[in-house]
Amino acid sequence: MAIHDEPQVFLFLSEILGRRLVDPEGGVIGKVIDLAGNIGEVYPAVTDLLLRREEDQRIVLFPWRKVEIAGATLVAHTPREEDFREPVLDSGELFLKDALLDKQVVDTDGAKIRRVNDLQFLKARRLLCLVHVDVGFHGLLRRVGLVRPVGFLLRTLFDYAMTDQLISWKFVQPLSSPDLLRLTVAQNRLAHLHPADLADIIEDLDIHQRSAVFRSLDVETAAETLEETDPKIQVSLIADLDTANASDIIEEMSLSEAADLLGDLPREKAEGILREMEQEVAEDVKELLAHPEEKAGGLMTSAFLRFSPDVTAAEALETIRRDAEDMDLIYYLYVLDGEDHLLGVLSLRDLLTAPPDAPLSERMDQRVISVNIEEKKDRIAEDFAKYGIMAMPVVDGDERLKGVILFRNLLEVVAPKLGR
Amino acid sequence: MADIPSSAVRGIWRKWSDRKTWRSFGLFFALIGPGIITSNVDNDAGGITTYSLAGAEYGLGLLWTLIPVTVALIVIQEMCARMGVISGKGLSDLIRERFGLKITFYLMIVLFLANLGNAISNFAGVAASLEIFGISRYLSVPFSAAFVWWLVVKGNYKSVEKVFLFACVFYLSYVISGFMGKPDWNAVGSSLLKPTLRMDAGFLTMAVGVIGTTIAPWMQFYLQSSVVDKGLKARDYPYTRMDVIFGSIMVNGIAFFIILLCAITLFQNGVKIESAKDAALALAPLAGEYASGLFAFGLLNASLFAASILPISTAYTICEAFGWESSLNCKFMEAPQFYGLYSLMIFLSAGIILLPDMPLIGIMFYSQVINGALLPVVLIFMLLLVNDRRIMGVYVNGLAMNIVSWLTVAVLTALTITMLVLMLI
Repeated sequence: MAIHDEPQVFLFLSEILGRRLVDPEGGVIGKVIDLAGNIGEVYPAVTDLLLRREEDQRIVLFPWRKVEIAGATLVAHTPREEDFREPVLDSGELFLKDALLDKQVVDTDGAKIRRVNDLQFLKARRLLCLVHVDVGFHGLLRRVGLVRPVGFLLRTLFDYAMTDQLISWKFVQPLSSPDLLRLTVAQNRLAHLHPADLADIIEDLDIHQRSAVFRSLDVETAAETLEETDPKIQVSLIADLDTANASDIIEEMSLSEAADLLGDLPREKAEGILREMEQEVAEDVKELLAHPEEKAGGLMTSAFLRFSPDVTAAEALETIRRDAEDMDLIYYLYVLDGEDHLLGVLSLRDLLTAPPDAPLSERMDQRVISVNIEEKKDRIAEDFAKYGIMAMPVVDGDERLKGVILFRNLLEVVAPKLGR
Repeated sequence: MADIPSSAVRGIWRKWSDRKTWRSFGLFFALIGPGIITSNVDNDAGGITTYSLAGAEYGLGLLWTLIPVTVALIVIQEMCARMGVISGKGLSDLIRERFGLKITFYLMIVLFLANLGNAISNFAGVAASLEIFGISRYLSVPFSAAFVWWLVVKGNYKSVEKVFLFACVFYLSYVISGFMGKPDWNAVGSSLLKPTLRMDAGFLTMAVGVIGTTIAPWMQFYLQSSVVDKGLKARDYPYTRMDVIFGSIMVNGIAFFIILLCAITLFQNGVKIESAKDAALALAPLAGEYASGLFAFGLLNASLFAASILPISTAYTICEAFGWESSLNCKFMEAPQFYGLYSLMIFLSAGIILLPDMPLIGIMFYSQVINGALLPVVLIFMLLLVNDRRIMGVYVNGLAMNIVSWLTVAVLTALTITMLVLMLI
């Protein structure tokens, strides 16, 4: 048994809930049913106890600063009637058990969704601060009351000692209500995650949490996350937004991803979003939308670099510097004649090593590989593998350049087949 | 004169060619699945055995029980599907969040045991049905276990769901073999509409058995998770409800034909049977080779279908409750509990069938006892959850629905307790 003479430094929520609050004479005031804390702080401090009062069975709040932990009981200092107040919280405050215990949270350090088995508090002088969230099997057993028998079994059978699996509160994003996501926006914990991880997390959440999390992201992160999300879920996320917000996010996406997404949306919604979007972007997206998704035309993007043959290397570099932000692809420069026929291609490396005054036609490689706009995905994938390039130009029946397929966009087609 | 019919035809044609009609038709087919699959998995080896026994021992006498069972099934599954659509969460998830860890922990242990029993009975069904075709169980059981494992781990869920929906068609084999028995439809109709109740223990146990095998605890968890998995929203709910109702009627339609076939052949000729395999074998001289073969094939399909879904559903349910990673897209080491539970369940249930001298009847017996004890608990939790405004908002049960559902649950609980008492004394 632990010795209780030393003040305990760490406390679990499960050890506090259900305990009695007594007055200095030892008379029972009530039973603890929840703790209120200020969620806005880095390590939220407990502000009040939520009690069921012994005398009238009413549910009331009692301030934590008047409470002292003495062994297994909580002692209230000079409790007066006006200390007890109705269970209404200030903004930023939150009932910790109600909002967190047994609920799902995002562990932004491990990029995973976890379920909270317990909360761990640090007791520092008068303060009780939430520092860790317990997500492990040990915490689970502690709450069920089976730590000792199971621990004994594991030790004797497997020589395995269980340890607590704790996540620091600063890596925890609670999810249980949209309010929580808004309250913690200041700290913006989800923004620490890579969009690809965020997308995985969003896919694992239920429909309400999904759109709540998605709405809490800034436009740019939302767009990047959306690109990485499963198409079906993309549609449901966008369908929940109003047209203005949706178009802001879709504008930030790469052209081909945006076109795919709009193609999957219900017609009226897609048209509404297109109307809200910037004229120029909307035009490009509409053009891509005209092509079926499983063919070259549906995979390509039209945001790439094109030059006429007499442009010099220095001029080309200048253009790239200016336009790169809006391009889906900057590693290849395509050289076209007046009628959009593809004459040659340069890589960014070719451009950087060329003398500034050399025209592109002198440095370009004329052996350009391209695919027809009607080509099927599988054949394009084979060509990518054969020629080892990062992007594939797409031409129409008259050999005019219409767009470019990024390897990344095709990867989503090919990757599922790789591992299996 | 000729104008009238042609304009009527045109009207119908216009209605059918109306895009809206087709769209809602298409939507229905895009959104169905969970209800029909869940109901059909429910007609597993245990179900088919119970129905065969009911028909063989009591003739058409128990046929009428299928009507109240259908109603109860619809009432319960509808609530489950509604909770899935509205909350977006699985049932074990909701139980954990609402009732805390301790209750959930013990509930999951009992659920695991109950489902393990069900899985064992389904691998036993695979073994029995293939033995009719002369294939040894030492071949069929390991092969089917490997097949089940491969199907779920290596296939993706979408294709698995399609395989399962297609498998539902094979249940028609029971309907065909039912017709092959050339029943006297007048007698069937009258016994369906005029309930007979005999006050002997055997009859009552069998009646409760029919109900118990049709409404099992695991179904509620499975149905709700698959509704959630499909990502359905509140506006899709009418389709889900149709799906659930259609599935519930279909499953009891199949049960109807099984009882019918056994009643008009085995019962009328006084053949005593102890299992679904006996039933299939005894059918050959009475209803013909084909009817017997179809019956056995139906048993194989049902067993394999349920054996594929039970382990994965159990693993999902438990991992969801404890917040463990549970996705078929993870590697083994990323989701050890999930794959561990899943593989353990297949390994144990298939392995137990292969052990010589295993008291299979005894295992089935206790599995039914555990299922029976678990059912009222799950149903009461469900009713509390479906009436919780914080979870369901305006979609909580209405007064009428609450009366119907509490009544259903009360009757089911009373019957289950009766069954437990009858079984254990």
